[in-house]
Amino acid sequence: MNTRKLLLWIALAVATHLAAVWALPRVVMGRVLHTLAAEANPGPVFPPAADASARRIVMPSPDLLYALCRFDLSQGPFTVSAAPAAGAPYWSLAFYADNTDNFRVINHRQAGSGGMALRLLPPGQQPGNSNELQAPSLRGLVLMRVLHGGDAPSLQQADAARRTLACGKA
Amino acid sequence: MKPWLRWALGLATAVATGLGSAWWVLKGMPLGVEHTARSGPWVAHLLAGSPQADLYTRARVSLFGLLALGRDETLYYVARNTTAGEPLKARCRYRVSGMPPQALWWSLTAYGDDLFLFDAPERRFSISSSNAAITVDGQFVLATGPQATPGLPWLPTPGPGGLVLTLRLYHPGTSLQAQPASLAAPRVEVLEACP
Repeated sequence: MNTRKLLLWIALAVATHLAAVWALPRVVMGRVLHTLAAEANPGPVFPPAADASARRIVMPSPDLLYALCRFDLSQGPFTVSAAPAAGAPYWSLAFYADNTDNFRVINHRQAGSGGMALRLLPPGQQPGNSNELQAPSLRGLVLMRVLHGGDAPSLQQADAARRTLACGKA
Repeated sequence: MKPWLRWALGLATAVATGLGSAWWVLKGMPLGVEHTARSGPWVAHLLAGSPQADLYTRARVSLFGLLALGRDETLYYVARNTTAGEPLKARCRYRVSGMPPQALWWSLTAYGDDLFLFDAPERRFSISSSNAAITVDGQFVLATGPQATPGLPWLPTPGPGGLVLTLRLYHPGTSLQAQPASLAAPRVEVLEACP
């Protein structure tokens, strides 16, 4: 084999390696978004408390209840709001781009007693105020986490808190 | 060999090498030390979930910690070994003890080596700052293993494979946030000989 040909194969192997590493998070996130879309589009979806049967996403936290919305900004902005009762334990809303980046978190301390409401804007559209947020990708995920203590009253309280999540086209 | 077959073989070898090396790097190689903080057997991936994550960190997070939060919200410390450096096994009993970490709330969860929860009795999947047993000297203490250890709160690990312990710190203290390696590492010790 001549040197030119060898270099060509090495370049192709390197390009394949980099493309695979770049694509993996997008493929994994794409599968999650696809599964979510099949359940409810845009959501919210309220999975049961994690146990040994929760095998969709690695390292599920057994101390949290989750709620998820899938966003698609190709048709324009998207609104997200949540208003758990004052005094609810830890909760947060995390926004993920289609490459798995967590581009924003709003937690119970930042939201205050009134909860939160946000308008998610497509890439390139500049926010006009603090209630608007530009997403780095057209598609992604909003994940609400609510802490519970494991006992029935605490689970009920956390479930009520996560069911205040609302999302949809603006 | 016919030229087209030589080209096809070369192409297949190059693609297979690229894919294989990507898998090997992501599954087998540790992250660069600049992206991790270590304290005893506990390792925190500092760029998990962060938009600043590089290509490889992002890919590893998609395999081992999808939908993680950034370190200002949550620090995740993972232990796969005892304090003495022995790999953790689900069938063995371990004593885990240490000072409660500085955080709004913390929890310690046991996972199998597939990173999913064990089929634990009574839904005992984790022990947290809400229910941890604190000793007179202010330390938390618990035992993991397939069977309970008398006198110690139990985190069941009913499985044949490895064991992965995850310590989650929600709203970690500012000093810990700035220097995650300054965690007072909980000790993970074998309770009885387990070959």
